[in-house]
Amino acid sequence: MTENTNTVAKAPAKNSNIVELATFYVGEALCGMDILKVQEINKLMQMTKVPQAPEYVLGILNLRGQIVTIIDLGRKLGLGDTDISQDPRNIIVNSTGGHVGLLVRKISDVVTADMVKREPAPANMRGIQGEFFTGVFKTDNTLIGILNIDKVLSIED
Amino acid sequence: MEIEDDEILQGFIEESLEHLADIENDLLAIEEAGAQIDEDLVNKVFRAAHSIKGGAGFMGLTAIQELSHAAENVLGMIRSKKLIPTPEIVNVLLIAADQLQSMIGDVHNSNEVDISSHVTPLNAIADGTFSQPPAEPVARKAASPPAAQPVATVVEEEPAAEEMAVEAEAAQEPEEEPELELDLEPEPELNGGDPPLETEEELAAPEGNSQGSRTKQSAPVKAETSLRVHVSLLDSLMNLAGELVLSRNQLLQTIGSDDLRNAEAVGQRIDLITSELQEAIMLTRMQPIGNVFNKFPRVVRDLSKKLKKSIDLTIVGKDVELDKTIIEAINDPLTHLVRNSVDHGIELPEIRKKAGKPDRGLVVLKAYHEAGQVVIEISDDGKGLDGDALAASAVQKGLITSEQSQTMSDKEKVNIIFLPGFSTAKEVTDVSGRGVGMDVVKTNLDQLGGSVDIISEKGAGTTISIKLPLTLAIIPCQIIETGGERYAIPQVNLEELLRIPASQVKDRVERVGDAEVVRLRGTLLPLIRLADVIGVERTFYDHKNEEVRPDRREMVSDRRGNESPHTRRGNEQDRKEKRGNRDGRPRSVIDRRYSASSALNVVVVSTGSMKYGLIVDRLQDSEEIVIKPLGRHLQNCKGYAGATIMGDGRIALILDVGNLARMAQLTSVDSSDRAAEVAKAAEDALKAKMDRQSLLIFKSSESEHFAVPLNQVERIEKIKRHDIEDLGGKRVMKYRSGSLSLICVDDVAMVQPLADHDDLLVIVFNIAKRTVGLLATGPIDALEINADIDDTTLSQTGIMGSIIIDNHTTMLVNVFEMVQTLFPHWFAEQERKVAEEIADEEPPNILIAEDSKFFRNQVKGYMTEVGYNVIEAEDGVEAWERLLEYGDEISMLVTDIEMPNMNGFQLTQQIRRDSRFSALPVIALTTLASAEDVAKGQAVGINEYHIKLDKERLMVSVHDFIKRRH
Repeated sequence: MTENTNTVAKAPAKNSNIVELATFYVGEALCGMDILKVQEINKLMQMTKVPQAPEYVLGILNLRGQIVTIIDLGRKLGLGDTDISQDPRNIIVNSTGGHVGLLVRKISDVVTADMVKREPAPANMRGIQGEFFTGVFKTDNTLIGILNIDKVLSIED
Repeated sequence: MEIEDDEILQGFIEESLEHLADIENDLLAIEEAGAQIDEDLVNKVFRAAHSIKGGAGFMGLTAIQELSHAAENVLGMIRSKKLIPTPEIVNVLLIAADQLQSMIGDVHNSNEVDISSHVTPLNAIADGTFSQPPAEPVARKAASPPAAQPVATVVEEEPAAEEMAVEAEAAQEPEEEPELELDLEPEPELNGGDPPLETEEELAAPEGNSQGSRTKQSAPVKAETSLRVHVSLLDSLMNLAGELVLSRNQLLQTIGSDDLRNAEAVGQRIDLITSELQEAIMLTRMQPIGNVFNKFPRVVRDLSKKLKKSIDLTIVGKDVELDKTIIEAINDPLTHLVRNSVDHGIELPEIRKKAGKPDRGLVVLKAYHEAGQVVIEISDDGKGLDGDALAASAVQKGLITSEQSQTMSDKEKVNIIFLPGFSTAKEVTDVSGRGVGMDVVKTNLDQLGGSVDIISEKGAGTTISIKLPLTLAIIPCQIIETGGERYAIPQVNLEELLRIPASQVKDRVERVGDAEVVRLRGTLLPLIRLADVIGVERTFYDHKNEEVRPDRREMVSDRRGNESPHTRRGNEQDRKEKRGNRDGRPRSVIDRRYSASSALNVVVVSTGSMKYGLIVDRLQDSEEIVIKPLGRHLQNCKGYAGATIMGDGRIALILDVGNLARMAQLTSVDSSDRAAEVAKAAEDALKAKMDRQSLLIFKSSESEHFAVPLNQVERIEKIKRHDIEDLGGKRVMKYRSGSLSLICVDDVAMVQPLADHDDLLVIVFNIAKRTVGLLATGPIDALEINADIDDTTLSQTGIMGSIIIDNHTTMLVNVFEMVQTLFPHWFAEQERKVAEEIADEEPPNILIAEDSKFFRNQVKGYMTEVGYNVIEAEDGVEAWERLLEYGDEISMLVTDIEMPNMNGFQLTQQIRRDSRFSALPVIALTTLASAEDVAKGQAVGINEYHIKLDKERLMVSVHDFIKRRH
């Protein structure tokens, strides 16, 4: 009897194998993530540094009244700092426990990918640990590493 | 059972619960009034029971109906004075009310509940067959004084009659409720069948039948879902919202028209409306603390009955309003504290009589506003807390060490009960001490941003005061700036703001052990530098140029006589250069300490019983801020309580002052003074072990190493060779506004000449009231070494002796002797005077106590030079023997502090205790004349302190004392 409110239709059934990937460059590596996980993409706004934060946290910023933690994806994935002066982009992801901004070097296209064709991630892709990928997707001329956002945003130790 | 309409049912439940909440206190009042029945009150309770009965009948809740009907019957008899409400009867009624409450809380299963155990006694009372017929209690009451009855009574400050009348009216006409209900939850769907509400109700009714705690437990859960707001308040909210919309339209128009003046006006308007709106919305969340307080008369009554104590409860300040989240959250801690007072605080009547107190105990529950906070006080006139017993118990439980317990103040001992794992009850009763310790109370209050404090006097009672913020959502904060970023410090933690002017920094900021402290109205306040704790670069704010610049001072103050700021080891050169670059002028011209921007801004904060000063770059405004949580990646940054968005859209972090103190390892609770003492004791112990000497190491030629006692050094200047002028056969240089005489070690001693460097150092000394500079070359270093000085091998004019430092034989330069040799006329006058004074009589005997042969010989040398007789002793014990031997032939004692067998402090103490020597002047010599030493020395009776090897000052004061003695 308590279920009646929960029986509202879930997300409509669809071909779950076709996923649109938002792709972007972290260092030289082309990475992608499910576009449905992206809330918005911003330029880097004025940040407030947080002393004593983990080194991959660049700071926090005010996104329309929400506090957003900015993570340098390059640093997090072990590719070195993203160059702030090169007009990097900020991918806002609504993760559990608040908004998180992922700082990337450059935004690329939206790619429609069939997950069936996804290949397992190599142990290492252009310097990024394989554990951060759920797989690799081949397009006509390039490789897209599909990021495991939950893994990237997890708090180790 | 089928209930047709959820909304009506919901309405019935809420109304009934409200009635029941009132009934409880009203019954207690009826009980107290006894035969003098307050008809209004009884009427009110009667009507409440009647309303419940009626509603239940309409809903088909037969069990509730039956029970309320039985209660109504009894109440009706009381109303018509057929029955006198004795405690026993009221008790039955109360239990019935509890049962009603639990049944209404779980309304869907209420019909299955067996209520016969309640209905039977009620009917028995009504039939006059109750085990205690109405006549008997009256007789008994007349026979025994009412005070002997183990019953709690309620004394309320404000007469509640008016309020009650209003409520009673409301009860009569429920359709015309003057209040509206704000439903915070989505409306339940009316799709028949199973209402979603049932699960909610199941939650609301917790298992178990412990009446005391459960009666109210369901109320907070209910309060979470909806809240009663007065219509007038809602109207004003609506009004304000309308105003806001109008102002927005105005603002949009103004932006379109580029009219700046109008924009200002609109801005002001919006500012005004927003604050009003904020206040109004806050008001909707405010609830009188009476909601929580009201249950305590019953709690105290039941408990005292059980414990055979007689206790009055006085409640003051029921109307004080608090945010509803806080009201809900303080419920449990308060219950615990009140139970504690009743159970552990108030003694049994016999014991109270013996102690000369009235046999009725008094518990006072008081709420009032103070400095933007709400203070709740729970006080009792019971036996109070025994600090020593608490400490002993804590030691036994291994919570603190016995050493700790000995150094604790009384207040700290009383606060032990907040330690986790500490329960004061010797035996666990079922009333309190059920594992929920006071530490849980404290933790709960801490989470609310409140604090708790205990004042207790053994035998006289205990007062526990709780400070709580009015609300949690918006808090006033002091904004400060450090490292170019703004931070917010909640006003709750703020004690005061302190600005130490540049010129006073040196005097007021001191160093105890590793910590910097500031003297504030007679107490030592530990200082923490915010930049250091959170690990950002130290900066200071330059008011002249309005910019933030790096600060390179290592300490807030330099210690007189202990170490010179210019000789911090290591990066001296480096730092100097940077200073030069930054200021674009030689550092010596303007000491930054005296410019306005080197004043210290200190925020004095307190958290619980800990208080400390936070050094920040800049103090800004006080602002009301909204707390926003930090993301999970920053959960490990313990120094922040959250973040907030400032007017300019940027973010400021909110500091958690408690955790900052922990991060700075300022762990001691309530004992900054004690921490200081302990640190000092540790320092003393360290010093006592070794006779240490601070030396400044330098070079003159390439291969020879030299050292001078650091405490003689005034300052160090960096110069170029061409700065030196050769005039009249003397080397001088321009220094400040005059000329500085320059000397070289090789001027006097047989050592290699000064190396031919372009960069030179000048070590400035102050001798015979003049300054003199010793030319040297780098690198220089400051060291503390064990004073193991060889005073024979290399001793010569200008060289006291030698010492091995880092495998180099280092010569200890006697600057005084050098100056004496080079500029004898500087001293001529002074010595002549002394010689004249002494020549008249027998030369005075001076006792020197010093364990190091080197220093003893040095001091002896100074003394004999001017004609004093010297008696030597190697330690305190020997000095005492000499003193007994020579008696009053000895005019003065010059003693070392750190000596084997008996140290200088002990020696002085012994001397002062002996009436024969109590007037003997005592001068102490030490390698480290720190302020603490001086204070300690003065306490034991040392007349004056001097630094070893500072011949000049020592001799001046020796002369002084000798002169005074004659």
